[in-house]
Amino acid sequence: MYIHSSSFDLQGERKSMYKQSENSFFKCGEKTSPISVILVTSGSRGNKLLFRYPFQRVADCTSSLTTKQRSPYALNTTGDVLEDPDGDSRFSDIILATILATKSDMCGKKFELKIDNVRFVGHPTLLQHPHTIQVSKTDPSPKREMPTMILFSVVFALRANADPSVISCMHNLSRRIAIALQHEERRCQYLTREAKLMLAMQDEVTNMTETDGSPQSPFRQILPKCKLARDLKEAYDRFVKTPYKIMYLWIVSLFLQCRCNNRVCCVSSLCTTGVVRLHINNWLEVSFCLPHKIHRVGGNHVPPEALERSLKAIRPYHALLLLDSEKALLAQLPLDCSPALVRLIKTCSAVKNLQQLAQDADLNLLQIFQIAAHLVYWGKAIIVYPLCENNVYMLSPHANISLYSPLAEGFGQQFPSHDLPSMLAKFSLPLSLSEFRNPLDASVQEAQLIQMVVWMLQRRLLIQLHTYVCLLVPPSEEEPGLLRDEELPLVARVGGRSLSTPSALSFGSPTSSDDMTLTSPSMDNSSAELLPGGDSPLNRRMTETLLASLTEHERQVILNIPAAQSPEDLRMFARLLHYFRGHHHLEEIMYNENMRRSQLKTLFDKFRSVLVVTNHEDPVISLFQSPLG
Amino acid sequence: MGTDRIECIFFSEFHPTLGPKITYQVPEEYISRELFDTVQVYIITKPELQNKLITVTAMGKKLIGCPVCIEHKKYSRNALLFNLGLVCDARTKTCALEPIVKKLSGYLTTLELESGFISNEESKQKLLPIMSTLLEELNATGACTLPIDESNTINLKLIEQRRDPLIVQEYDVPVFTQCKDHFIKSQWDLTTQQILAYIDGFRHIQKISAEADVELNLVRIAVQNLLYYGVVTLVSIFQYSNVYCTTPTVQSLIDDRSIQEECLNYVTKKGQKRAFLRDVFQLYCGLTPGTTVRDLCSRYSQQLQRVDERRLIQYGLIKALIRRLQKYPVKVTRDERSRPPRLYTGCHSYDEICCKTGMSYKELDERLENDPNIIVCWK
Repeated sequence: MYIHSSSFDLQGERKSMYKQSENSFFKCGEKTSPISVILVTSGSRGNKLLFRYPFQRVADCTSSLTTKQRSPYALNTTGDVLEDPDGDSRFSDIILATILATKSDMCGKKFELKIDNVRFVGHPTLLQHPHTIQVSKTDPSPKREMPTMILFSVVFALRANADPSVISCMHNLSRRIAIALQHEERRCQYLTREAKLMLAMQDEVTNMTETDGSPQSPFRQILPKCKLARDLKEAYDRFVKTPYKIMYLWIVSLFLQCRCNNRVCCVSSLCTTGVVRLHINNWLEVSFCLPHKIHRVGGNHVPPEALERSLKAIRPYHALLLLDSEKALLAQLPLDCSPALVRLIKTCSAVKNLQQLAQDADLNLLQIFQIAAHLVYWGKAIIVYPLCENNVYMLSPHANISLYSPLAEGFGQQFPSHDLPSMLAKFSLPLSLSEFRNPLDASVQEAQLIQMVVWMLQRRLLIQLHTYVCLLVPPSEEEPGLLRDEELPLVARVGGRSLSTPSALSFGSPTSSDDMTLTSPSMDNSSAELLPGGDSPLNRRMTETLLASLTEHERQVILNIPAAQSPEDLRMFARLLHYFRGHHHLEEIMYNENMRRSQLKTLFDKFRSVLVVTNHEDPVISLFQSPLG
Repeated sequence: MGTDRIECIFFSEFHPTLGPKITYQVPEEYISRELFDTVQVYIITKPELQNKLITVTAMGKKLIGCPVCIEHKKYSRNALLFNLGLVCDARTKTCALEPIVKKLSGYLTTLELESGFISNEESKQKLLPIMSTLLEELNATGACTLPIDESNTINLKLIEQRRDPLIVQEYDVPVFTQCKDHFIKSQWDLTTQQILAYIDGFRHIQKISAEADVELNLVRIAVQNLLYYGVVTLVSIFQYSNVYCTTPTVQSLIDDRSIQEECLNYVTKKGQKRAFLRDVFQLYCGLTPGTTVRDLCSRYSQQLQRVDERRLIQYGLIKALIRRLQKYPVKVTRDERSRPPRLYTGCHSYDEICCKTGMSYKELDERLENDPNIIVCWK
């Protein structure tokens, strides 16, 4: 079940029972790392295991500590003690070949097999017969029987308790490698050639073992000679050895896929430092991103579905904050990447919202959304609200404020003579940027202060607070004691209406067209002023309609407020009524309705007897405000 | 239980002439010829895979089995190979079923060794009704008790898999998530029984340990156990000097009728008429960084007429409508010669430091406020 650990939690934060021991090769409890990678094929020669990494102990004797990848003295801190901490080393090559090289009717689908504590996941792929065997009728030489490969599978062995989303991601990777290999096989028999090499090496080593008597792992010999083996090894290494860095392999981009028939091309993909570029046959790139490694909230990974939900909720008034410097990011892009991406990165800025970015980069909003989502998915950027004077920031509950954290060190290097904890202490109470920029000692440059805030945002140390408003009318004098209808807030009664911003659909969400005519929030003309002024019948009727969704009691209370006597104010209030459900923050209302902050604040103040105001982070982007793993 | 429905139970063996086959399956014809052909290598396996729990997914189905091999001269081919397995839909989470499969294979092995249950054609036929009963009862109640013969009974139970619990610290406060009276004390272990009375949502672990006279680590383990089963959840110590702030979840008080009802019932002072939603919501929204509970009480005294502020805070924490802002002292400057700070590193909250050192909050505050080298972060 679980093991009680009495070790003191130095971080002072709640941590899961599964601590990660950095000494153990297999990262006990590290559920996102594979145990090994295996390549099997099935063909006319039967089932074969071509390659496997990490190399297994060849000799069965358990005394050889040197070849053991895991010291017997290393702490095994997993909760459920594995019967065999060495994972899949119990499985011989032959048995693996039998169980992993499936029958052809399992091809083209996800393959998942669990044996005790090990879960194998792959995507067996059928190969067509090579086209090159063309026997000319005039050719007198006898037909050479070429051993044909019918199917192959790149299988990852994972811990049985790996999260389902990790399993499906590894399956995804297996499938993409398979697509690339299948393609290369069709084009130039790449796989057949590599397989031949691998089998030859295996035979050679077996022969050597028989003559010498010294056991060796054939795979060790294969490695320097076979490119495919090296690629697989690299894929595995990157996932296991450096789990805290952001890991990528190349992938066919979900968002920017090249529309070539039957060809799998790599377009605009991203890569970062420490990245493996899997160039299958030095030609095709296979890249992959395990979002579990990138997006973690307080130690637990963010499931991809939550990530995708958040990405869908990005709005034009959000901004993209790059997590690397522009130069660094551009340097990591491949030569054949999309120019749109380059333009976006060059014009991107923390003070610009996505709509402005679209204009500046000369791209349509839909593209911007897609590229932004792409960058966020890959952990290269986060979504924030554009930096401006009135933004209020506070210390994130997940922030690491330890004196000795690497963040503190990094900060000290970047901003000498300042220390991170002191800066962070300033944000203990919510602080607006304008307040922060008026320090008591004017010696600090303003620009540097902004840089510090950006630095802290990039490292998820700060969260931004927004103001949310809710309409709650004081209950009437007669009290039956039960929750009457009047007490049901607006949202429960406005049944049919969708809860999302009605204007989101018209204002450039990913599904709409890009011919918006919305002006930026900084412009002065409020749409309220565009309507005929005064107490015209049109306005009165409009106000009445808007207030119709309220109950009689609510209407009465609102109309009794002194401010409601002013038709302008009442009209504005009525128009904004649907925002007062606690789901739309001030900046969103400002953007959607083209209003200034001061206008809104005044309105809230005037109607404060029926409105309840609170400040908290935006749940939509709070996903991006959590720390990396 | 729940969505883990077992679709089929099958008994497969290696027939001396026909090879691997399914001898019995309930319901009949569930596993097609095709499916069995595809997966038979995982059902009746090579020796290397015997006695291992094997789960294979194929054709939209998941098969879980544990192949058994009993070697003896008396069997044709000198060995008896069989496998009693379960079939579910491919999307089902089957971790809970694995111990059942393992246990079943153990039972059958014992039966065979003791009385030749399987190799004897007559007794083997009893398997079919056994499998039917198993299927029915496991799906219905998640448990099954089935006598096989005079000396053997099968006892099976599906255990729900739960998430690992958090580490419980001394300054955490356990609070029951359901009504305390629902629990039958005698079902719990002695330690838990002893501390049960002291779990009131206000006592922290250290205090419970002191008052119940149970060693601290035992209390931690016991509470962790309760946490695992979802019986309690952890909140922080309540003090009037505490500072809280709202989370985005606070809006659920407006959106969700059931949470409203629950909240209003929970926080209303005993003997008073039910509090108004508006008042309660205003109170929660009145919790902001920099505002202590004491401040809240003085500012919103009118709203607090019908509301118990302690239970208000408690409910808010349980449902994550609010979160506590803890103070973390950091010693930013120090002499070269003095020791590096042990507790003032930004990793330990006031709660923790007070618990560990025995100081009161006020004492700690006074001590730190006057120290120019120490800054305090709230988060």
